[in-house]
Amino acid sequence: MIRTYRALLVAQIQAASQYRVQSILWMLFSVIRPVIFLAAWVAVANSQGGQIGAYDVRDFAAYYICLSLVSNLTMSWNAYDFEFEVRMGRLSPKLLRPLHPIHYSVVENLVWKLTTIIPLAIVLVFVAITFDARFRTTPVHLLLFLPSVLLAAALAFLSGWALATLAFWTTRVHAVSTFWDRAAFIFAGQIAPLALLPGPLQTIALALPFGYILGVPAEILRGGVTIPTALQLMAGQVVWVVIFYFAFQRVWRVGIRQYSAVGA
Amino acid sequence: MVRYVRLLQLFFRTELQYELEYRLNLVLEIIQTVVVTGTSVAAILVLFSYTTILNGWDLSAMLVLLGCFYLVQGFGELVLQPSFEKFMEHVRLGTLDFALLKPASAQFLVTVRNFQVVQLAQMGLGAIVVAVGLSRIPSIGLAEAIGFPIALLCGFGLIYALLLALSTFAFWFVRVDNLMALYWSFMDAGRFPVDVYPGWLRVTLSSAVPIGVAVTVPAQVIAGRLDPLGLGLLILGTIAAFVLASWFWRLGLRSYTGASA
Repeated sequence: MIRTYRALLVAQIQAASQYRVQSILWMLFSVIRPVIFLAAWVAVANSQGGQIGAYDVRDFAAYYICLSLVSNLTMSWNAYDFEFEVRMGRLSPKLLRPLHPIHYSVVENLVWKLTTIIPLAIVLVFVAITFDARFRTTPVHLLLFLPSVLLAAALAFLSGWALATLAFWTTRVHAVSTFWDRAAFIFAGQIAPLALLPGPLQTIALALPFGYILGVPAEILRGGVTIPTALQLMAGQVVWVVIFYFAFQRVWRVGIRQYSAVGA
Repeated sequence: MVRYVRLLQLFFRTELQYELEYRLNLVLEIIQTVVVTGTSVAAILVLFSYTTILNGWDLSAMLVLLGCFYLVQGFGELVLQPSFEKFMEHVRLGTLDFALLKPASAQFLVTVRNFQVVQLAQMGLGAIVVAVGLSRIPSIGLAEAIGFPIALLCGFGLIYALLLALSTFAFWFVRVDNLMALYWSFMDAGRFPVDVYPGWLRVTLSSAVPIGVAVTVPAQVIAGRLDPLGLGLLILGTIAAFVLASWFWRLGLRSYTGASA
């Protein structure tokens, strides 16, 4: 398996290095929206004397910088590719190979993150200086962030695949993923840090998987939660990873029998 | 002129027929648009649950702004995005010849040929959000009522000029879909007034990619925050952008080599 992965990695890196400019541009996707909402929250905080709840302007900056980093590290776009492959019948040759198609996707995802992380870091440093971000991160937070972001990436990846697998039935996953993305827009910590979602929205957010992908690791990296809270939130992440792991396995097994290679 | 209007009607009708072939898909797309707009309004409400005023914009003005955002974005996705995508495809495949040989303005034939009719829903929802915002404003003067549609039209014009200039690069580089993707990701910034952004981003949004201007200025007119001079400058700027982009397009066209040439 390790040798397989090494071969896949080398091939993907070679493929990715053909399109270097493209990866820099795509990096912007994980920066622009956090910066937009950061600017909005800074304006709101300034109108209230610089402080909203436990956040002041510099905390918002730190939060959204962490969010941008996490969103880059956890990004998963399988649903879009997969629908296309099913619809065009391109999945067929992949199914004949001795390797589960998910492994190609894992490697593609990893390489994308490797190639975008450096330009992203440069932009984020720039944003941090512009907004004078203040991080409250302790070494323990950093230590917890590693497993937390890995769990988040796994969760994003598995839920993305579970969703993508719906293409076996509908070949129009696009609509489903729009609903998914918009729910994430509200509940993942993009429009506001989870702690600032008003009233019931916050409770709902903590019961749904979205926040565990973006908001939770971002808060841990920023040092915005205490260690016990962080551990609790990470337990939530584990639960969702397990749920989506089994959901994906089940849906894949049923779905693959459904697959009839449209257009093949 | 009449001929062009009739051509436009024809293009629109054929695209509508095409879209109506897949009715369930159409319904799904409309529901998606409703969800997208609804969640965006929700995001604004979350922000305004902590304040009554954001950088001088109150909730009503913010709703007008968000509505303008969807009107401008909807316009881009209704006609510009599908047409320009087709155009770049034509350049890549060398089939642009067919458009160039027809007895009408090539720029017209290329830039408003294709429609995604379903995006009318996005513009409609944008109009509804604008109307909701307006209904919360106690009184709107005559000058504002006249200035608003003019500013909005200028916004459409600016977006058209920008996308025309961007896609013209296809004549030299062939694959420029990334440039377009860049535009779409910057477009997202239009959902807030351009003055909330820090220096470098504000400059980018108002000069290099005039998305901020296209959305913010119409809302400013309604909020009574724009003087006639500003509106005049906007009109002049839009005309200049249009003329410049058209000139650039003709320049690019000269480098087009045609099918299999």
